[in-house]
Amino acid sequence: MESLKIAATERSPEVDFDFKHGVLSLRGESYPEDASAVFGPIFEALERFLPTVGNREIRVDFDLTYFNSSSAKALMNMFQMLDNSAAGGARIVVSWFFAPDDDTMKEFGEDFSEDLEHVVFNLVAVESAA
Amino acid sequence: MLAKYFRSFKHDLDQRGIIFSFSGYMSEGILYSLGDALRQKMALEDTDVGTVKKVFSVFVEQAQNIIRYSAEKVSGDVGKSVELSSGMVTIGTENNRFFIVCANVVHASDEPKLRQRLEKLQKMDKEAIKAYYKEQLREAPEEQSRGATIGLIEIARRASEPIEFDFDRIDAESFFFCMKVSI
Repeated sequence: MESLKIAATERSPEVDFDFKHGVLSLRGESYPEDASAVFGPIFEALERFLPTVGNREIRVDFDLTYFNSSSAKALMNMFQMLDNSAAGGARIVVSWFFAPDDDTMKEFGEDFSEDLEHVVFNLVAVESAA
Repeated sequence: MLAKYFRSFKHDLDQRGIIFSFSGYMSEGILYSLGDALRQKMALEDTDVGTVKKVFSVFVEQAQNIIRYSAEKVSGDVGKSVELSSGMVTIGTENNRFFIVCANVVHASDEPKLRQRLEKLQKMDKEAIKAYYKEQLREAPEEQSRGATIGLIEIARRASEPIEFDFDRIDAESFFFCMKVSI
């Protein structure tokens, strides 16, 4: 399946989904007024990709520094899609990056991870988070 | 007279500790530019990263609420379809804290629900607000609300004190609504 690459804008994150190698990443900030315009293409691609993964290992990196509440809802949907796929046998490893002094992003990572039963979720503090 | 008048106007804003105040038609572009300037101003003053993030987050949610829910809107076609919403956002400092105030006209029919949501949040402590946020994150969006509830919870979560709000009746169909958040 063809990669999904969308450049970051002032209010939306960089999307780099390399489906061939099973490495998906979201990087930057997300606070569009209409979250569905940003996350619609992401959901669509995942809906096509996830049923094809079987028991492959898929890496999903979240390197976000800020998102608004409607993006948080979209991220929650995304995590549910990933968890469902992991329940079906895919080995999905999520890394949630945050700057060491960023309690808000750390707390969001903890909040999201609490609902995941099948995905492997790593909270990763990094100095150079985007 | 002109300079005297506007100097006095500016002085009045300065005396109230106001860093920025925007009144008028709000758009996503204005939100971005004001937000960017706000972050830069706070960074220049060595505001700690956590506070900058909280103030920015409350600013974004408030500005997006104005864009979505202001009862004062103009729309039309200027080569592309445009909708602008009128409101006010003011950011300043008082007693060593940042405050963010937003104001806009709301339809009288929207007032009871908005009041009820804000009163519910005022009564909650930090843990209850966090739990409520997580609950709403999983919920499907309420009809016509386009995510209003979670936006208000996000604001309450970042606030250092309960949200203050007020409604001033304009006429049978509308209220002037304002909300103040301290961080």
